[in-house]
Amino acid sequence: MAVLWIFSETTTSTKELLGLGRELISAVGGSITVLMGPDGEGREEWAAYGADEIILLPPLADGLAMEAHIPVIAAAAAEEKPDIILLPATARGREMAPRLAQRLDTGLCSNCVAVRWSGGDIEMDRVVYGGAAIQTVKFLTRPVMATVAPKTFSPPVPEEGRSARLRELPPLAAGTVPGVRIVEKREKRRLARDLTQAKVVVAAGRGLEKKEDLALVEEFASLVGGEVGCTRPLSEELHWLPTELCIGLSGVSVKPDLYIGVGVSGQVQHMTGVRGAKVIAAVNRDENAPIFAQADLGIVGDLYEALPKLITALKK
Amino acid sequence: MDFKLTEEQELIKKNMREFCEKYVDPIAAEIDENSRHPAEVFQKLAEGDWMGIPIPAQYGGSGADYLTHICAVEELARSCASTGFTVSIHVGIASMLILLFGNEEQKKTFLVPLAKGEKLGAFVLTEPGAGTDVMAATTTAVLDGDHYVINGTKTFTSNGPTGDTYLVFAWTDKAAGRKGMSAFIVPRGTPGMTAGNHFAKMGLRSSQTSEMLFKDCRVPKANLLGKEGNGLAMAMTGFDHGRTGIAAQAVGIIQAALEESVRYAKERVQFGQPIARHQAIAWMIADMATDLNAARFLTYHAAWLKDQGQPFSKEASMAKLFASEKAMHHTIKAVQIQGGYGYCKGAKVERLMRDAKITEIYEGTSEAQRMVISGNVLR
Amino acid sequence: MPHIVVCFKWVIDETYLRRAPGGGLDFSSVDYKLSDYDRNAIEEAVRIRTALGGTVAGITVGPPEAAKGVKDALSRGMDAGVFIADPAFVDLDPSQTVSLIAQAVRNHVGPFDLIICGEGSGDLYAQQVGPRLAEALGIDCVAFATQISLEGGTLTAQRRLEGVIEVVTAPLPALVTVLPEINTPRIPGVKDTLMAGKKPVRTLAKGDLGATGGPRLQTLAVRAAAMERACEKFGVEEAEVIRFVDALKKRGVLA
Repeated sequence: MAVLWIFSETTTSTKELLGLGRELISAVGGSITVLMGPDGEGREEWAAYGADEIILLPPLADGLAMEAHIPVIAAAAAEEKPDIILLPATARGREMAPRLAQRLDTGLCSNCVAVRWSGGDIEMDRVVYGGAAIQTVKFLTRPVMATVAPKTFSPPVPEEGRSARLRELPPLAAGTVPGVRIVEKREKRRLARDLTQAKVVVAAGRGLEKKEDLALVEEFASLVGGEVGCTRPLSEELHWLPTELCIGLSGVSVKPDLYIGVGVSGQVQHMTGVRGAKVIAAVNRDENAPIFAQADLGIVGDLYEALPKLITALKK
Repeated sequence: MDFKLTEEQELIKKNMREFCEKYVDPIAAEIDENSRHPAEVFQKLAEGDWMGIPIPAQYGGSGADYLTHICAVEELARSCASTGFTVSIHVGIASMLILLFGNEEQKKTFLVPLAKGEKLGAFVLTEPGAGTDVMAATTTAVLDGDHYVINGTKTFTSNGPTGDTYLVFAWTDKAAGRKGMSAFIVPRGTPGMTAGNHFAKMGLRSSQTSEMLFKDCRVPKANLLGKEGNGLAMAMTGFDHGRTGIAAQAVGIIQAALEESVRYAKERVQFGQPIARHQAIAWMIADMATDLNAARFLTYHAAWLKDQGQPFSKEASMAKLFASEKAMHHTIKAVQIQGGYGYCKGAKVERLMRDAKITEIYEGTSEAQRMVISGNVLR
Repeated sequence: MPHIVVCFKWVIDETYLRRAPGGGLDFSSVDYKLSDYDRNAIEEAVRIRTALGGTVAGITVGPPEAAKGVKDALSRGMDAGVFIADPAFVDLDPSQTVSLIAQAVRNHVGPFDLIICGEGSGDLYAQQVGPRLAEALGIDCVAFATQISLEGGTLTAQRRLEGVIEVVTAPLPALVTVLPEINTPRIPGVKDTLMAGKKPVRTLAKGDLGATGGPRLQTLAVRAAAMERACEKFGVEEAEVIRFVDALKKRGVLA
């Protein structure tokens, strides 16, 4: 029997965590608790997706960010001793999880990509060395904690008519209110093209020599019916493409039928965002590029030679 | 025995690699094509103290050892042989000679701006009729009051069109033979000194080479470097330092040839497998890697001897001879490995092959190196 | 004038990692480097010091060989270093690293205004040390900043989250982790590297600090990636490219 807590930040990530949670709990029995914001919006849905209990976090004063819940969650976890706590590997999740783990003096598997029971223990896999290797860890302390890479686990099939207990946690005790205040919030621009819905995604990487060469990638993408995305350096350092097209950790995660990385080396920060693709393909001139270790099909060759040939082949 | 670079040498070498990836690689093909001196890169090199590595801090340099400078030249040449060479001759010959033989005043006036990279140095020795046979030179410097008056024609002067501070060699007493030549520091703009024809070269194209013409060029007596009559000996000392730099340049070229070959051989598929799996190609690469190690050790050893204060003339010649001939040999192989692609403009190996040839020629041809080496061995 | 502490790590340069026969990792030709993300952290600290004055001290945990990393980090403009060194300090659990750094900061660094960490380490990329350290020291934490400034005892930071940019303030002392786009790290000049060896480095041995406790996580295996997707490789010749397109069609992902 295991008690599993899920911290709910976004709808998508919560569904995926519930998918993983149910898989884990079904093996050993136990219950799933979802911790969510005070408005409890969508909690009926969480019941259908497998939550046995909903915990509403106390309302936060204006200007406080979600991270302000850390002391409350930590206090509750210290008292109730859940066996497992899962958070999404979103930016917030990746800040909150280690801080919670530190307060609970426990181990945390960051950005986990696979989970399994082994004997009575949970083992998790994570990607290390920029995508070149997989590290498998087991936990020597409780609770077991992990942040889970987006699009790694599928949402469970909802069961109508399930219900979940509801309770609330007490507000922040005096002296535990953090000093961090939000003074401004800007929504990122939404683009007409939505990478997350695309069936085919072509990602441009550092292998591109100049901005103008994106035209080549665009032409190729249009022929395979795909949208163009990119790795972080292209959007955040070179500013060749808008931030919204940046794929990976702290960018968007995609789950298309086909992902093609063009001049993408395959760093973990990027590949985490495409792990869910049905087929991963790559074009890269370096045979040892980590992307080939994570791809189904790959052309080993210069993209400036390969793309024109691909374009010709596709036009036929 | 200790085959390890110091922590500082290793870090500096890595930083130079990063510098090259950021500033040199992106323009290397273009400056070769256009035969352009990349002033913007030299500005950055000056900012990073790369233009005077072995010159003591009190004279505007970094105060590191000669081996550190050699490592920097190697990394530069790995990206662009021309840029590596320009730094080599600027530091290894022009600056080093003023450091070794200049008086305090000359060091303050001329060495400091060279070491800081504000000025570019040039070495003006070769003449149309005097290549390896230095004694056949005809340029003269005649004392006239407080000035020497220089007349003559020099050729193949590297940094000729772009230099600021020229070390000019001329006879002050032709009859005295080997003890009759002197060296002068001549700043750019001195009346009577002009850069003549620029040479359009096969390789090393972004390095600027020209004739230097001297017509009643009056140089103050204060600009005589060292003693009158010591010119030839100083030139030879300059060559010891310079040749170690050319060896490093050749090592950089071999390194680049190896990298290009390995990359291509793994990518290029023929007969159903990457050509790296074909023994004919694999063996070429084995030889390249082996000679690269040997050339590098010879070069570092020459620089190390210099830093130990030991004679290194023979070792500098050996390093230069071996590294330059291996650079030529292996860049030809690198083009061979890439076949038709390697023969076309835009392939790095094509540029490497053209650049490699000069390393067997300047600062003493391979034949001249064999003269020095055999002279030492048969003594 | 702020006193800034930067955490950095000397890591395996993953470009030199090769797959060993049998699926393990071949470390035989690896080289080490200052973690790329930490270069941004150092650069940001030095940028702030250049603007506001103050000091920048670096701190790292590692085996004695990481001394080269301390020199590298110092060559990037920091004033002093604290090197927590022991042959056993390899592959520490993030909680152990944090315990060591927190003790060193409390007892050997002196008062500080800001701690800057990279967003994660270049090797294991657990992204835990920064946020955990803030908790261990009981100070406010802002993760994933793309822009920071200090004024009158307050940190202002812009942080990038999914779909939203947040500007936050926090009272000092605080800890911030920075994303790579916050700046472009310098390439140290020759003199910077030569000077680095002359800067003060306080080396702390295991005995100088209290116990860290055991690891909270145990690494069972590290193996080369790519188990589940066996990459089929193609050449770049026309026939190969056509074969590649056909293979995509066969998998039903290309119309």
